[in-house]
Amino acid sequence: MTALLTLYVLIWPVIVLGVLAVIVRAFVKEWRQAKREGRSII
Amino acid sequence: MEQLQQLSGPIVVTLMLLFFGGSLYMSIRISRKRENADGYMTGGGKIGYGISAASMTATWIWASSMYASATSGFTYGISGPIHYGLWGALMILLIYPFGRRIRQVAPRAHTIAEVMFARHGRSSQLMLAGSNVLGSVISLTSNLIAGGALIDMLSPFTFTQGIIAIAAGVLLYTLWSGFRASVLTDFAQVVAMLGAVVIIIPVVFFAAGGPSLFETGAHNLTPQQQDFFSSDAFFNQGAPYIAAVLAYAIGNQTIAQRLFAVREDLIKKTFVTATVGYGATIIGVGMLGVLALYAGIQPLNDDVNNLIPQLAANYLPPVLLCVFFVMIIGSLSSTADADLTALASIMMADIYGQNIAGKRRANPQTMIWVGRITMIVATAAGLFFASSQFNILDLLVFVGALWGALVFPVISSFYWNRVTNLAFSAAVIAGLACFLPVRFEWIDLSGGIGIASDVLATIGIGVVLGLMAFGFFGRRVALVVGTVATLAAAPFAIGFLHTYPVLSGSLVAYAASTIVCVALTMMNTTRRFDFALIKERTGDFDTRDGGADGTDASAGAGIAGSSGPAGVDDRLEFANDGKDRA
Repeated sequence: MTALLTLYVLIWPVIVLGVLAVIVRAFVKEWRQAKREGRSII
Repeated sequence: MEQLQQLSGPIVVTLMLLFFGGSLYMSIRISRKRENADGYMTGGGKIGYGISAASMTATWIWASSMYASATSGFTYGISGPIHYGLWGALMILLIYPFGRRIRQVAPRAHTIAEVMFARHGRSSQLMLAGSNVLGSVISLTSNLIAGGALIDMLSPFTFTQGIIAIAAGVLLYTLWSGFRASVLTDFAQVVAMLGAVVIIIPVVFFAAGGPSLFETGAHNLTPQQQDFFSSDAFFNQGAPYIAAVLAYAIGNQTIAQRLFAVREDLIKKTFVTATVGYGATIIGVGMLGVLALYAGIQPLNDDVNNLIPQLAANYLPPVLLCVFFVMIIGSLSSTADADLTALASIMMADIYGQNIAGKRRANPQTMIWVGRITMIVATAAGLFFASSQFNILDLLVFVGALWGALVFPVISSFYWNRVTNLAFSAAVIAGLACFLPVRFEWIDLSGGIGIASDVLATIGIGVVLGLMAFGFFGRRVALVVGTVATLAAAPFAIGFLHTYPVLSGSLVAYAASTIVCVALTMMNTTRRFDFALIKERTGDFDTRDGGADGTDASAGAGIAGSSGPAGVDDRLEFANDGKDRA
């Protein structure tokens, strides 16, 4: 039970890290593309 | 009173300068001497996945949701954060299918109220716009209060100094470029917030005792708090929130604005990412409340809103306390700037653009100044309400119910060509009229009236679940789900639900508005609305190109190139308020 509760508490920051990685990767890709095309990212 | 660890004045000033200075720098980098009115409201509708997913996530993670999730964990135990964060996340996901439909019929709109104007007319538009304005002002106020309270607790500065500093900081970086500045700074804010969550939760967990805490602190929890399937948590937290899920998704302009901003083919990816990001962040922060419960911590001054700052001050070293401070400031700033831009776009598109100037005569430059002035006035109003002792929770409940009464009429207006302006308006008023006495217990709900309320609320359960099913699976499945849910819930709900007035109030609003909307719509046997008209009646206000490279390409005329009803001034065309235009 203790192990399950520990996993239950700590799984959320791991998922958050995954989402953060996805967002940062996509942003960098868009930023580079915008820079290549000489336009503003937004 | 327990003395909490505080950050020193110079450190707080430095953090605020870094945070708001950085946001201002980003805003200046993308600013244009002459902003484009449509860009100011929706970024031109071509925003990429990275920024839009970051913005959607950052906007929905607000300081109050972090505090509320931790409160839920502390109050209801291990299932508490799920009953807050999971349903909140679902709120984002549920609007996705409706969002796709809305973008399909109105690809170049700026607000849902603007689309309602094109669909029905002025009264429907103003009902939606009015509820959006109220909701955004309340949200802005709530964020300022959260920031002021944090600064008051963790620094030598006062609440008033805190709210003024935060309001000025947010206004400063949002004012010139509007929505474009809001979404770009959201990226930096989401990196700060999510990064902080990744670090802070494990650190607090191990500082509070780690896995052994679940053994040594188990006696602090009641059997309900230890139960992952706690009925207390479901009926007091989860169920009312499920009922509010659709209402918040439909009624909140900050979501709609991002829906109209993201590139159409990226809507699904954006919404799914934001759902996972919001859910994991808010449930994760809610775990701090669970840890506090296991650790036997009592909230400072018996105020559960103090719980998160209290844990941070107790368990985090000074450097991580700074990270925590930035996390909360980031969460409230990203939502506050979204509220400002939402209010600006409503005043620009719905009030000035369509009701004062008329779409074809609206001057883009005037529109932008309408937006900027709106932001200044809204900030002043937020400061006034934050410094007064208004009960924000009551106001939030009221707006939530108003949105609940709007959900069925709004959604059906996008799919059912028989819905009329009368059906829409009467349904919303009926929903509200039934909600108020139930939610605020103005009438005695024992006996026959209580049973009647329960019957309506039970129908409301069917409506909520039916609408959720409709978004993903269509009308037939929705009808089956709605009917089965109502019949299955009836034996348990009737005679029981009125003892939970918050839940009953919301469900009754759904049911009454749906029944009236359906009844009046069925009476319309002749008029049919052509949805293609919405695309013609909404669109860009500003044909001036902001320039792909961020410069002003032209200073074109202020008359929108996109279509209103051909050859007819919109004000004349739409002047027949109360009549449907089929």
